[in-house]
This record gives sequence, structure tokens and C-alpha cells, in this order.
Amino acid sequence: MWGWRSSRTVAIGLAAAIFVVSCVLPVASFLMASLRDATAAFALDARQWRLLVNTAGLGVGSAVLATAIGSPLGLLLARASLRYRALLRVALAAPLLLPPYVVALAWTYLASSRGLLATVAGYDALAAWTYSLPAAALVLGLVLYPLSMLATEIALRRIDGRLEEAALIVAAPRGVFWRITVPLAGPGIMAAALVIFVLAASEFGVPGVLRVRVYTTEIFTAFAALYDPGRAALLALPLLALCLVVSVVAVTLLGDRFVTARRGADTPGALRVERSQSPLVMIALVLVTALALPIAVLMREALNSQSIVATIGGSGEAIANSLRLATIGASALVGIAMWLGYALARTRGGLGRLADIGLVVLFAVPGTLVGVGLIGVWNRAGPFGALYGTDSMLVLAYLARLLPIAILALAASSRTVPLSHEEAAAVSGAGWLRTMWRIVVPQMRLGLVAAWLIAFVLAFGELGVSILVAPPGETTLPIRIYTTIANAPSSSVAVLALLQASIILGPLAALGAILAHRERS
Amino acid sequence: MTVPAIVVSHVSKRLGAHQALTDVSLAVSPAEAIVILGPSGSGKTTLLRLIAGLEAPDTGTITVHGVCVAEAGRNLIPPHERGLGFVFQDLALWPHLTVAENLGFVLGSARMPRAERASRGQRALDTMQIGTLGSRYPHQLSGGEQQRVALARALVGQPRVLLLDEPFSSLDPELRATLGAELHQVRRELKVTMVYVTHDRDDSVLADAVVEMRGGRITSLSNAGNP
Repeated sequence: MWGWRSSRTVAIGLAAAIFVVSCVLPVASFLMASLRDATAAFALDARQWRLLVNTAGLGVGSAVLATAIGSPLGLLLARASLRYRALLRVALAAPLLLPPYVVALAWTYLASSRGLLATVAGYDALAAWTYSLPAAALVLGLVLYPLSMLATEIALRRIDGRLEEAALIVAAPRGVFWRITVPLAGPGIMAAALVIFVLAASEFGVPGVLRVRVYTTEIFTAFAALYDPGRAALLALPLLALCLVVSVVAVTLLGDRFVTARRGADTPGALRVERSQSPLVMIALVLVTALALPIAVLMREALNSQSIVATIGGSGEAIANSLRLATIGASALVGIAMWLGYALARTRGGLGRLADIGLVVLFAVPGTLVGVGLIGVWNRAGPFGALYGTDSMLVLAYLARLLPIAILALAASSRTVPLSHEEAAAVSGAGWLRTMWRIVVPQMRLGLVAAWLIAFVLAFGELGVSILVAPPGETTLPIRIYTTIANAPSSSVAVLALLQASIILGPLAALGAILAHRERS
Repeated sequence: MTVPAIVVSHVSKRLGAHQALTDVSLAVSPAEAIVILGPSGSGKTTLLRLIAGLEAPDTGTITVHGVCVAEAGRNLIPPHERGLGFVFQDLALWPHLTVAENLGFVLGSARMPRAERASRGQRALDTMQIGTLGSRYPHQLSGGEQQRVALARALVGQPRVLLLDEPFSSLDPELRATLGAELHQVRRELKVTMVYVTHDRDDSVLADAVVEMRGGRITSLSNAGNP
């Protein structure tokens, strides 16, 4: 329909070039450096084994807990008779948008020897657990369960209700659930668990705050504290291999449904969760544990601060930087991902599938590795080096970390626009740019707004890459929080963490209020 | 006096804002085959789903082999205890199970020994002339083969009543005629009561009686050879 000489080639080509430079090049540069001594990287000594076991343990523990919490909630959202379903979905998804290290901080204020639990109980019941691998898995499980919840809900909604009805003709509901519903939804739930595993294994902030030695914290120490890029590269390879294998399995399980905006099946599911099973009790319990409790604990700690205003004022520059850079980053992310998402949506067959896998694999690369890769590419003489040492590096960090997932999300949004709409525009004589501007983009507007908001929230909370590439003297709120944990009173850190959570949860609460109003009317 | 296989008595059903059925009454004798004819939205599929127990009537009662299975607002007997076989319009073959496992799931609910289950499943496949396809998955079959599997699955549990919701609507006329004739023969051999929903008047050759529906009401009832 559109030839090579159309404006499409220019727009998508430009976006692809930015993607390669910001996303692929850092990872490729890092890989090249690592592979020079690949044999040594996989010759695991006792210390390496411990790191591998800890990292895998963190991934498995978080994935199991997140799935145990998330999949029953997904079942309720898909199959229970709930009032204010959309509002509940937003509320239950909120912990995913909280920066994990903020929740980890709340955990330390709750469970440490001078924490809320010890004060209430009169003795330090959780002394051995406060800074531990199980605690890190607990925090990440509570932050990441919405992924499992949403994946389960989508998987259940995609099941054609006729399949369950056909089974209900010959079997009792319990048998139908275990033999028909669960196997059909299983791949989606399993893939979400694998994605959670990768995200937990790649996480830097939570093990950093809770003093758990995993690959990401060791890589950070090797690079930032010891300035030993060779050791950082060696440490990274097993972690990278672990994340890549799990990501490929996840994509294979889900086929073309990794990130999906497809509507559900024509016939809704026939099995329903009865009202008597009190789904609201479970929902309330999860909301209190994963959302209300961390916020309340942070508030309690923050109230001990001698001057909340002074604490916020002292971090004014970091807050302003975070807001400014996250706004620029989110706009750049959506601006680039829109073209590439469209191109991915219109790519058929094996190439499209390969691109899907590649993007998931890129997203799975841990932030600290991306940071080291970015430094390798940009910290040099010449035109590349001109950007290094400026805050543009932070925008590049957001692009490197978040562009793959933004492309996947906007590809899903593009797929909702039928190809025939473009064909009709082409037949009417419209060029590609005009067709995009007048036909495709307006139909994607909700997806674009959602992608911008999510990109903003994720960029605003980004720590793993930012902490490595931020220029001297330049700081963001997450970096400020992380670096002051050791040097400032806990009440001041709590004030900043609470401020960060409020900036993220504020718009979400507004969205919730709009949804509640809509559902009520 | 013979007890009717199915009695639908003064049944009404509303689906959202749409009145799908209004005061419908119908009786089907054992081993009788009726075809319910009507255009889209006439309520014929809703009537079938009420008999199966997939929906509950708002008013009226439904009796299967002398047992009241549903009355106003509730199902008294769940679908799997009504002794029915059902062929859906889109067949609803379970995609994660092989053909043999699709049939095995039906027989598994009857709690019979594994060997007997296998032999009954194989017999049902042989009857539908697909005896060699047991190890295949639904997506590996042609449209006609899938249709035969759906029929075999509906019959393998030896139901007393077979309900069919436009099962051949997606087939070409030749295959449709072939499968229609085979269904007719199998039904007579097994002496099963059949309710067949269709919008195609040609399908009335399968029936002992034809019921016509429009706007959620029965508009005529006639012997098949005597419309």
C-alpha cells in the first residue's frame, strides 16, 4: 500500500535509529565487553554461586508470592459480580506503580528493631527477617502481584464461554474449572510469573535497601564503588543469561499475546464466582497489606520529622529535576514508541514475532547493566561524549530502560485500528502521514495517553540506571532518597518517599474517582 | 401413557433489555426429532439454552423425562445432571485436549473404568467415521472432521436428549447434506430425542416435527412432512 519512498520510511526509520542508539547499542556494547571473558563469567566460584542462588531465590520467591496473591484477584475481577469493578482494578493495580524501594523502606520502618511492630508488640519479633532475602521477596511480591492479577484476568476473559458451557453440560463446575478453565488460562498465568521472576531478579533498589547480596547490587558495587568495569561485566553475564532464557520462555508461552489490548471472547465465561464467597474481604485484605499499610507506616515515620517543609525544601531541586526529566522522558518515549509500535503491529509472520521476543529480552536486561552499557557508549571523546555529563543522560536512561515496553504497549494499541481503515484512506488519496494523523493516531489516543502516564510514572521512579548515569551534582528524587538512606534521619527519608508515592498515587486517585463516578452513574 | 422427553411450559426469558422468549410452551416425545426454525433473534437458541440449563427461565417450568429441572428464576437440576448432549454452533471443542481426551472428559464425569472409557470413546469415534483421529488436536482437523468430533462428543455419554444449535451452518451444502444424513441415521439407531435449532428450512428433513419461532414466540407447529 505504501511504497519505500513514502514518508513512512523516513518516520519509522528515524524512530528505529533512535531506538538502536539508545536501547540496543548500550546492551550490545556491554555484551561485547562481557563476552571477551565469557568462560570466566560462567566458572562459578562459591561467591558467584551464592549470588546466583540469592538472585534466583529472590526471583522465585517474588514470582510465587505475586502469583499466589494476583491470580485469585484476577479470577475475582474476571468472574465475580463486583460493584465498582474498574475502580477496584485501578486500586489493586496501584502497588505496581509505587517504586519498589519505597515499599522496602516502609518495610524497614515496620519490621526493624525500632519499627512499628516492635513498638506495638513490645519485643523485636522480626529482628532476623528485617534485612533478609525473604523480606525482599515479600516486598517484591506485594509490588508485582498486579502483573499476575491483570494477566489472569485477561487470560480468563479470553476463554470462549462456549468451551466452559460445553463442559458444564457433562461435568460439575469444580471439574470444569480444573480441567477446562485452568489449563486454558494457565499459559498466561505462567508467563506472568516468569516476567515477575525476571523483574525481581533484575531489581536493584529493594535488595539494595534490604542489604541482600544479589547480582544487581554486586554489579553496582563493582562499577560505582570499586570502579571495576571488568568485574561488573563478568558478574553480569550469568544474570543476563538467566533473564534471557526466562524471557524467551515467557514469550513462547504467550505467543502474540505478550502485551495485549485485544478484547475478550465473544461469549463471556460461564463459570462465575458466587457472591457468598466474599471476594470483597480478600480484595480489602490485599489493599490494606500492599497499599494502605506501607503508606501509613511512611506517614507515621514522616510525622517524626522536625520540619517536613524544610526536608521537602532541601530536596526541591531533586523534585523539580524528577518532574522535568520524567515529563521529557515520557514524551520522548511515547513520541518514538508510537511509530515503532505501529510498525511492529503491521509486521506479520516470523519477523514480527522475532521483534516481540527481542523487545521483551531488551526489557529484561537489568537496569544496572543498562547503566554500565550507557556509560560505555557515551563516556568517550567526540560527539557522543558531548552528551555525557549532562542531564540528557537521564533521558537516555529512561529511553534505554523503558522504550521496549512502550513499543510493545503501543503495538497492542495500534493493532486495535483495523488495516482496512488505512486502506480506505489510501484509496481516498491520503498520504501516509495524513492517514496516521487523521485516521490512526486519533483511534490510538487512549492508548497514547495511558502509555504517557505509565511512562511518566516509571521514569519518575527509575533508580537502577539513573543512579549510574546521573551527572555530578545532578540528582533526581529516587537518587536523593537512595543516597540519603544511610546519611539522613529515617523521618526525612520517609518524608521524601511519601512525597514520591503521593506524586504517583495522586493522579491515580483522581482516575479512580472518575471511574467510580462513571460506574455509579 | 408415555412421559414426554421434554416439556416447556409457559416459559418467558428476558436478556438485558431484550425480551427473548414470551410464554413459550412445547412438548417433545421420547425419540422424537423436532427442528426449531426461525430467523436471528427469534429466541430459538435461548430456548435451547434454557432446556440445557445454561440459563434459567424468568417464568414457567421445564421438565425433562418427568423431572422438573427448572422453574421461575432458578435451575433445580444443573446441566450435567440432565442427561443431555449439546452441539454448539461454533462446536466448542476444547483446544488443549486431543479428540480422544475431548470424549474422555465427558466419560470421565461418569466415573467408569479407564478401559471402558477408552473403548466407548473409540466406538463413538468409529460411529462417526473418525476412528483414526483420536490423537489429534481440534486445530489439526478439517471443518467436517471437527463437526464429527462435536457430534461424537455429544453422543458418547449416551444422552437421552440431544440438543443441536445450528451445528452445520458453517459447512458447504454437500458436506452439510452428508452429515445431516449421518446424524439422522445415528439418531434413529440410538433412539435419542433431538431438538435441532436452525434458520435453514432445508434442515426440516431431519425432523418428525417443525416448530417455527418469531419474536420470542412459537408461531406454528407442524409435522415435518405436512407443513
